[in-house]
Amino acid sequence: MTDTAGNATTTSGDEPVTMMEYFMQLEYSDVVSAPVMRFRDALMDARLIAQQCPKCKLVYVPPKGYCPIDTVELDERNEIQLADRGVVTNYTVVTPVQYYGQKETEPFVRASILLDPPGGMLILQDVLDIPVAEVRAGMRVEAVWAPKGERDVDEIGNRSGSALEGSLRGFRPTGEPDMPAEAFSDKVW
Amino acid sequence: MAALKDVAIIGYAQARNERQAQATEVQFLFPVINEALEMSKIPRREIGFTCAGSCDYLSGQTFAFVMNLEAVGAWPPISESHVEMDGAWALYEAWVRLQHEDIDTALVFGSGKSSPGNPAEIYPLQMDPYTLTPLGFDPVSSAAIQARALLDAGKVTERQMAEIAARSRRDAMKNPYAQVTGEFDVDELLAQPYVTAPLRKHDLPPISDGACAVVLATGDKAREVCERPAWIRGIDHRIEAHQPGMRDLTTSRSTRLAGEAAGVGSAPIEVAELSATFTHQEPILREALGLGDQVAINPSGGALSANPVMAVGLARIAEAAKQIVEGGRRRTLGHATSGMCLQQNLVCVLEGEQ
Ligand SMILES: [Zn+2]
Repeated sequence: MTDTAGNATTTSGDEPVTMMEYFMQLEYSDVVSAPVMRFRDALMDARLIAQQCPKCKLVYVPPKGYCPIDTVELDERNEIQLADRGVVTNYTVVTPVQYYGQKETEPFVRASILLDPPGGMLILQDVLDIPVAEVRAGMRVEAVWAPKGERDVDEIGNRSGSALEGSLRGFRPTGEPDMPAEAFSDKVW
Repeated sequence: MAALKDVAIIGYAQARNERQAQATEVQFLFPVINEALEMSKIPRREIGFTCAGSCDYLSGQTFAFVMNLEAVGAWPPISESHVEMDGAWALYEAWVRLQHEDIDTALVFGSGKSSPGNPAEIYPLQMDPYTLTPLGFDPVSSAAIQARALLDAGKVTERQMAEIAARSRRDAMKNPYAQVTGEFDVDELLAQPYVTAPLRKHDLPPISDGACAVVLATGDKAREVCERPAWIRGIDHRIEAHQPGMRDLTTSRSTRLAGEAAGVGSAPIEVAELSATFTHQEPILREALGLGDQVAINPSGGALSANPVMAVGLARIAEAAKQIVEGGRRRTLGHATSGMCLQQNLVCVLEGEQ
C-alpha cells in the first residue's frame, strides 16, 4: 500500500511492502506510405489530392491506397486534384479546459468541410476570420494556406488524417450565400 | 482433440517479408487477402466467418486490428473476430466456428508490422510486471537462457545450431517470401561474435513486416472448389506457466501434449513447418513432437528466414498445407508458438487424400 505521496506503508503485523517505481516509454517510428508521401508533396504546393474509387466513386483524402468498401487497391492512376473550397457541413464549438499542455484559452471551432466537386471531406478544420457564434452549417468557405516557405508537412504521416495545420491553416468564409442543408445532408460527419 | 467435422485449407497467401515495409499493415494485407480468396475460388461475400490475429503494440497504433478489417471488405457488415495472438490461433477459432453446422467457409489472417518499434522494449511488457518487465526480459535474453540450458544439458551444440541456421537460409532461397536467404558456411557463422551468449546473429530470427491469409472450407464445399484440399486432421494448443523460471526450458511439454492430442504420432509425418524462431528451439520441438531424421523440417526456411510476428505461425500452417495442395504430400504438420521460450504451442496436422 502507499500513502498519497506514493511512499510505501506497511500493513499491520506483516512484512513491510516494498514499492518500486518503473518508468517506461515506447518509441515508434513509422515510415510514411507512398500515397501519403504524394499527399505531403501536394500540400507543400498548396494543393489537396485524394484517391477516388473507380467503383463506388468515394473520395479518400488523404489517399489511403485502397477502397475498403470495394476492396480494390488504389494508386497514382486513381489520384485526383481536389477543390480547396467547400461548405461547412457540421461543427463543434470547443471550450478549452485548462489541462496541462492546453494552449487554447478561448472557445474555438472544429468543422467538417465538404469540398466542392469532385468532393472529399476534411474533418476537424479550424474556421478563421469569423466570430465563433456566427459559424453555421451550410456556410461557404475557402482554404487558408500557409504562405509558401512557411509550409511544413513534418507532422503528416500515415496516422495524421485531416490534421494539416502546418500547411493548411483552416478555412474562412467566402461570403457566398449559404447552401441548403439538402445539398450536403447525406455527407454530414 | 481429433477433428469432428472435416475442415480443409483450400487457399493461402503470404506477403513478401521485409525488414521495414513502406506500406502500412492494411496496405500490405490487401493483396495477401485478395490472393488467398482468389486461390480458394470462394467469392468474398460468401465467406461465413473471418478471424484475424494481430497485436496493436507492434505497430504502436490503438485499434490497428480494426483498421486491418479494411483489407477484408467488412461492408455490408460481416461476422468476424480477432485474437491478440498469432494468426494460427485465429485459424483455431475459425476451425471451432466451422464445427457449427451453419457456415461452410472461413477466412483467417495474421499480420504484423514489427519495424516501427523496438522488440527489446515492447516484449518485456507481456511478462510479470514485478519481477521480469523491469529487468527488460526480452526475447533474445530469454532465448539465450534457454539455449544455455540446452547446451549445458548436452542436448545441442553451437555447431548444430549454426547448421540449422545455414540449412534454413539455404532452403529459404526457394521461398519468394523469405527475408534472410543464401549459402552460409557453418565455420564462418561460428566465427561470428555472440549477440547475447550463447546466441550469435544467425541463431536469431530477423525482424520482419509481413502477413499471411488462409481460407478454410468444410467437407463437400472444400472438394467442390479444390482439387486437393489439405484436411485438418488434428489441431490442439496448450499453455505452460507464464513465469519461465517455473518450467524446464530444455523441453516443451505443451508442444508434446498438443502434438499427442492432434494425433501427430498416429502416422508418419513427411514435412513439419515449425515456429522455431531461435535455432536451438528446433531440436526442442523435434523431440517434443517425436520427429525423426526422415521428416523434412522447414523446407520454406522457417521462422529463421522470416519472422512476421503474429503471422509466422499461420505461415507455417500455410506452408504445411502447400506441401499437400501443391506438393502432393500425404501428411504434414504446422506448428505455432507464442510467449517467451515456447510458452504456448499449437500443432496442426494436415492430410491430403490418397
Ligand atoms: Zn469503392
